[in-house]
Amino acid sequence: MVDLKEHEAPASDAGEAARAGDRPPGDLQRTFRLVLATVWLLDAALQLQPFMFTRGSRGFSGMLNGFAAGNPSWFHRVVTWNVSIVDHHPILTDAIYAGIQFVIAIGIVYKRTCKPALALSIAWALGVWWFGESAGEVFRGGATPFGGGPGGVLFYAVLAVLLWPSEGSDKPFVAARTVGVTAAKAIWAVVWGLLAVLSLVGSGRSPRALRDLVAGVNVGQPGWLAHIDRSSESLFLHHGTTMAIVLAVVCVIVAAGVFAPPQVAQVTVVLAIVVFALIWVAVENVGGILAGGATDPNSGLLVILLALIYWPLTDARAVSRDAGSVLVAEEA
Amino acid sequence: MAMSTPSWLYYLFGVLMLAVAAYCLTLLVLSVATKRPAGRDVEISHLFMGVAMAGMFVGQWAFGRGAVWEIIFGILLIWFLVESIQSVRQYGLHLPHALIHAVMNFAMLLMYWFPIGSSTGAMSMSASSAGPKLDPGVAFVAAFVLFASAIFTLASPNKGASHFGSHAPAYAIVGAVGSESRERQREATVPPAAAIEGAIATPWLVDLSHVVMCVSMGFMLLLMT
Repeated sequence: MVDLKEHEAPASDAGEAARAGDRPPGDLQRTFRLVLATVWLLDAALQLQPFMFTRGSRGFSGMLNGFAAGNPSWFHRVVTWNVSIVDHHPILTDAIYAGIQFVIAIGIVYKRTCKPALALSIAWALGVWWFGESAGEVFRGGATPFGGGPGGVLFYAVLAVLLWPSEGSDKPFVAARTVGVTAAKAIWAVVWGLLAVLSLVGSGRSPRALRDLVAGVNVGQPGWLAHIDRSSESLFLHHGTTMAIVLAVVCVIVAAGVFAPPQVAQVTVVLAIVVFALIWVAVENVGGILAGGATDPNSGLLVILLALIYWPLTDARAVSRDAGSVLVAEEA
Repeated sequence: MAMSTPSWLYYLFGVLMLAVAAYCLTLLVLSVATKRPAGRDVEISHLFMGVAMAGMFVGQWAFGRGAVWEIIFGILLIWFLVESIQSVRQYGLHLPHALIHAVMNFAMLLMYWFPIGSSTGAMSMSASSAGPKLDPGVAFVAAFVLFASAIFTLASPNKGASHFGSHAPAYAIVGAVGSESRERQREATVPPAAAIEGAIATPWLVDLSHVVMCVSMGFMLLLMT
């Protein structure tokens, strides 16, 4: 029998000292994967809210049906097919949906199940994007990034690809570790180029549509957020087109930033984080979670996570990580 | 239109909470028997949380005055905050293990200060829908922190740390009496309480109890938004 008292003081010293920063830096890619898993866990818990188990217009099926409205008839039929299944079996379907998201969240944590869980998350995200988010309103011209276009759930898939487990260096940024620098830069440019285009097409530059976007989500929000919403509505109503153009310009700058020197790239990443933090709170209303009627946090949080994995790492950080890997390997 | 509240879901969470409470009570009793001081504060905290939250999920299981629970969780909050401050003062700026337990006790206080409205179903606090409502922003942030704690606890290589903090390495030796040669050497001398503790206080099990508690509390906080 080991006497715990004997180990108490030294264990405490060692453990706390390790926490204080004496240990080598951790695996950044894994840390970001765990943050992604946390968001999946949040989604799973949101799926268990009481209204999700309710049929009819006030339930989950009603929410899905709302997204389907206004789409081309062929697509509307596809979405309403899924809606009817959910409406007829709300408890079963919702329990399954929540269960899948729990499986993804927990699966990402463990080395053995991480890749299958990420693969499942990609398939699930694409399915939800098509059947649940009505393809992010792309078909009806309302996929503005202000409202989460082209679909918040697509960012889960992009993140799953970029955070796919692999060995190697985090230099020049974490997103490049698995797919390589060129592919990672191309993905970044495509994503932000698409966001720039979606800012300007369809109803994305219509002041009235942008104002209605905020008005549509501000019901039931806490006072401070409702106050922000009123300012956003007013801003969009009077300067909606200008705001859309500004967002498009910002997206283009951010897209180009990944090809710039690290110092410039850092500025563009900060710009992306600040702009989408503002959009997430002031326009997307944290995905509607605070009003108790959301299935996910919408795109803002995930775009911020995406931006963080493109943060240019300094040589010192990369070197210390490499040194840490060597240290861990030697200990093993 | 009436909400089809999934009462079975609340019963499921209620049973899980009671299971965590029973597990922590067992650990607490064993810790007294084996004179193990490490982790007792967390066990007491989880015991109270489990019992209190079971009563929140299933109204019939609730007991005790709200004010008493508030005093209990207030004391525990202060205890873990002091532990966190001491840890930072002793070892420099870092994220102390006790801080997440302070957050959990703070979340419990929030649940008593701002009872859930009746829209969430047949829960014990449903009668207080007219009372003050918690800012959903605070509930969301607290829920996200708890979910993050659950995920990072599962991922941590330092198994058992969620419960025993930095004492986990020493405790793991007891929990994992796996080596056959060691076991043979100890068989003759290990007292029964220590043997039982070695069997049930495995690092993964104490981590699991923390994860279940975090997920349940996060879910409850989301219901408060």
